[in-house]
Amino acid sequence: MESGPAEKSKKYDRQLRLWGDHGQAALESAKVCLVNATATGTEILKNIILPGIGSFTIVDAHKVSGEDIGNNFFLEKDTIGKSRAQVATELLLELNEDVNGDFIEETVDNLLRNNSGFFQNFHMVIVTDLPERTLVTLAAQLWESDTPLLVCRSYGLIGYMRMVLKEHTVVESHPDNAIEDLRLDHPFRTLTEYCNAQNMAEMTKKEHSHTPWLVIIYKFLEDWKKHNGEMPRNYKEKSKLKEMIREGILKNQDLVPEDEENFDEAIRNVNSTLVPTKSKPFWILARAVKEFVQNEGQGRLPVRGSIPDMTADSERYIQLQNIYKEQALQDIAIVTNYVHQLLQTLGRPQDNISDSDIKTFCKNASFLQLIRCRSLAQEYDPATANHADIAMHLEDTDDDDLVFYILLRAVDRFYSQYSKYPGCYGDSMEADIPKLKACVSKLLQDWGITQNVKDDYVHEFCRYGASELHSVAAYMGGVAAQEVIKVITHQFIPINNTYIYNAMKQSSITVQM
Amino acid sequence: MAASINGVLEQTLQKSINSCKLLVVGAGGIGCELIKNLVLTGFHDVELIDLDTIDVSNLNRQFLFRKEHVGKSKAEVAKESALKFNPNANIVAYHDSIMGPEYGVDFFKRFALVMNALDNRAARNHVNRMCLAADIPLIESGTAGYLGQVTVIKKGLTECYECQPKPTQKSFPGCTIRNTPSEPIHCIVWAKHLFNQLFGEDDPDQDVSPDTEDPEAAGDAGEVALQSEAKESVAGGVARKSTRMWAQQSGYEPEKIFNKMFRDDIRYLLSMENLWKKRKAPLPLEWNNLPNTAQDGDHSAQLGGIRDQRVWSICECASVFAESLKLCKDQLMNSGDCGTLVWDKDDEPALNFVTSAANLRAHIFHIPLKSKFDVKSMAGNIIPAIATTNAIIAGLLVMEGLKILSGNIDKCKTVYLNRQPNPRKKLLVPCVLDKPNPKCYVCSEKPEVTVRLNTTTMTVHTLEEKIIKGSLGMVAPDVEIDDGKGTILISSEEGETEGNMGKILSEFGIRNGSRLKCDDFLQVYNLNINILHVEKLKEDKEFEVIGDIAELQAQASADNTGPDTNSQEDDDDDDDLIMEDEPTEITTPSRKRKANGASDADLSTKKLKRSIDANCQEDEDIVVL
Repeated sequence: MESGPAEKSKKYDRQLRLWGDHGQAALESAKVCLVNATATGTEILKNIILPGIGSFTIVDAHKVSGEDIGNNFFLEKDTIGKSRAQVATELLLELNEDVNGDFIEETVDNLLRNNSGFFQNFHMVIVTDLPERTLVTLAAQLWESDTPLLVCRSYGLIGYMRMVLKEHTVVESHPDNAIEDLRLDHPFRTLTEYCNAQNMAEMTKKEHSHTPWLVIIYKFLEDWKKHNGEMPRNYKEKSKLKEMIREGILKNQDLVPEDEENFDEAIRNVNSTLVPTKSKPFWILARAVKEFVQNEGQGRLPVRGSIPDMTADSERYIQLQNIYKEQALQDIAIVTNYVHQLLQTLGRPQDNISDSDIKTFCKNASFLQLIRCRSLAQEYDPATANHADIAMHLEDTDDDDLVFYILLRAVDRFYSQYSKYPGCYGDSMEADIPKLKACVSKLLQDWGITQNVKDDYVHEFCRYGASELHSVAAYMGGVAAQEVIKVITHQFIPINNTYIYNAMKQSSITVQM
Repeated sequence: MAASINGVLEQTLQKSINSCKLLVVGAGGIGCELIKNLVLTGFHDVELIDLDTIDVSNLNRQFLFRKEHVGKSKAEVAKESALKFNPNANIVAYHDSIMGPEYGVDFFKRFALVMNALDNRAARNHVNRMCLAADIPLIESGTAGYLGQVTVIKKGLTECYECQPKPTQKSFPGCTIRNTPSEPIHCIVWAKHLFNQLFGEDDPDQDVSPDTEDPEAAGDAGEVALQSEAKESVAGGVARKSTRMWAQQSGYEPEKIFNKMFRDDIRYLLSMENLWKKRKAPLPLEWNNLPNTAQDGDHSAQLGGIRDQRVWSICECASVFAESLKLCKDQLMNSGDCGTLVWDKDDEPALNFVTSAANLRAHIFHIPLKSKFDVKSMAGNIIPAIATTNAIIAGLLVMEGLKILSGNIDKCKTVYLNRQPNPRKKLLVPCVLDKPNPKCYVCSEKPEVTVRLNTTTMTVHTLEEKIIKGSLGMVAPDVEIDDGKGTILISSEEGETEGNMGKILSEFGIRNGSRLKCDDFLQVYNLNINILHVEKLKEDKEFEVIGDIAELQAQASADNTGPDTNSQEDDDDDDDLIMEDEPTEITTPSRKRKANGASDADLSTKKLKRSIDANCQEDEDIVVL
């Protein structure tokens, strides 16, 4: 039962408003692989199947156990003993008829040995509950093939996530509080002409108080530049400019300033407007923009083409809007030319890059992001580990969630040595405490860190017995799935690179390991 | 990995998880996740209530529902789906409104804990009061796109849901909507009003015809007189008939309605010459002579050619208008003699009607046209919603619940979820719970509130519907005038005070300084209202609720220093999270199109504060989206 485009746009309406049709298309053509259908793993898959991921494959050699039934929503009671990969795949597929899914009942070790290209077929690999040695091997292979990897786990009351991206580019980073792109420091010709044609001295009171602040700042900047030809640079100079603008407010017969909201806006906007227009021309995909910047742009990126809200009459607001819009279209046309030239030199057809992609790229030119995570190999090699940060965090007693990173690494080491997690069987807890402590000490020693980890944490981790609490898994499932969507849609900035959640305190940290 | 929670959670906590009774209010986005989490955390005794039925647009996140469940009760289906996974759980589902009289204090007292997974403020206010009255801890939650929030409310210990005033809805002056629209949203509001006039419940505040009393149109006294005379005979003699009656008599003929709304009424507006001295005059449209604007269609980015995201040409608008008009008329006819339609953004004909009518009007007034996708968002106040945020928030909800059950309510936090790690690298921001506001008009010792209104024009009906129920959140109020005689103004018993409804407050001796004693039996809530008489309120407001007298004084001094700008500025602030799981008619339309930032159409939807607004203060009606 395939649902038509109308049905789909209805079903996905509430998310299309976040990442748009093109984000949705990227999601619908993506293939992801989940290693191990643990509670955390299936929760992640659930959250990317619902919004309509293209397809998923579960790799899991385990059989469904009684413990799985207790915390995993996608494993039913009567399936104990069956293939966990199969049962989870079947139930997850019920969530969305537009998603394809299959499974492989096989260990990662075997797949790596017998089918070396297997994992490279995916747009992203998500891993839960994998022993350190296998994880590091898999991570090295994925790093080599430039396949994104996300490692996630829920361990007692602690959640952990590690993003491994060799190189990830983001065009639409959807920045918070972006500074407007208004070019008042380097006004383009049409803007200059427009502003010069506005004669504030001859305006009626109403026209005066509804002149867009953009024009006001332009005018006063021109006055300012008459002094020494430079823009105001420091706080003092900017304050002086603001004072000049304030003086420009109309006064009534009693010489009391009128209420001119647009002037207040102008004063408020002086600081952000004077942030110099910058360009960062070093993206590979931005070669065409780079050409533009070097030539027509005279060192500046294409104009974004939008202006913020302001107190203004419609007529002039729309005129200004159009001036920026037209300039943006002109810049885009030039960039488009460069793109086509480049495509030609590369022997690729012109429609290799669509016009709407060029437009999106130009509009986001100042928000482009490049993320390069450290590899897992770098993290796990004591020589290149980020021990400086670990030591620093250990000093900071207010912000101690990083200690859980150390403990998670220590329980992995424990597992490598004893083939089980500490405290896993009720009676072993007391005996496991000193063993886990030894693992912690060894790790710290490897990193050359002299501080120690409080015993309380070691006890606590033994108490967890590697249990996966459903609510922690559900939380991490939400966080991790969101990261997967960010990576696949190339929108918003993914976490770089380690995220730790402490369910006791409802706190979390992001660190680069 | 082991699944057991034995080591992680203390024995006593596990016991209370197994034995305690929980109430979950709402089985939507957060609700579905929450039910799953609760069942898998070991809760056995859960009651679930939700008024809603399942819609297609729920399926991208409300994972307990499938396509075949569309139209069924959310509570019932959520219960059935959850039981498949834990047949031992005891889940009771109510397909009902939590604000109904059967869910009184005794109902709430049966629970150890109440968890809200709601999507509207009215229900949140109500559950807040019920939990205060029953003295049961409440965990409140909400999401909007990537943002989310969880908080804990306990009588006497923390702030209640209503301790801090919430931002109010945005409104537009009536003359802007009826005479001089300048933004797409004005046309959309007008089109929704037109829908209600033609098919919905009659509301005099939603008139769509030219407003002859627009102060800006009045040049001098003579002209005013002329106009009031003209009023009697305008636009084919239909001005004094209700739009509904007129439409019925003309058989909902598309051509007639089209020509009245988009030709005759516009011509009439053109005759109000003062309006067009400084703005571009509107251009009437003629049914038989529509302009060819097909090329204008590329306002929207080429987004894969989906019809909803493309801006229609004027001819397309006209044909969609005719087609949807007919479909809505059929729906109306099928709903019986006195039936009415309620505008619903998810109802295809209703949305098509508003999209086409809004765009036709936008064209007339030289305002950029909008795609159906955008109109839906603006008209329906759609708040984006995704699975991941709900999953995160529902996980946090349970963790707070566990703290309460283990007797550590003092360790509970308000937790905010950011869109991305903040500059301090925190995705989550936990904050200590605030103490109750001693002046809160809901949870303080002697709740009291001051309302500014005009006692010589406001009816008892408006007082009850818009102030006592609408703004102050009561459900079944009894109101007595504190005049020493105990005059009953409003009774919650049906029929007892019907006769009072159309009367003006001053007829009951209510004037500046009067005091009303309100009592809501269901909410076990008493509130004294102090009346402050004013002739007129700024921005055409009908009334203004002021928490306490200090705030009033502060406001008064602010009034003297300048015009109020606050209401305009807070709208776009992303940090100012409105606790919504799903769209309702509560928030302002500014939270929209986040993902469509690339679209050209974006430019034109920005708010323009137009000069006309300042001149509209004389106008009586306020338009609320």
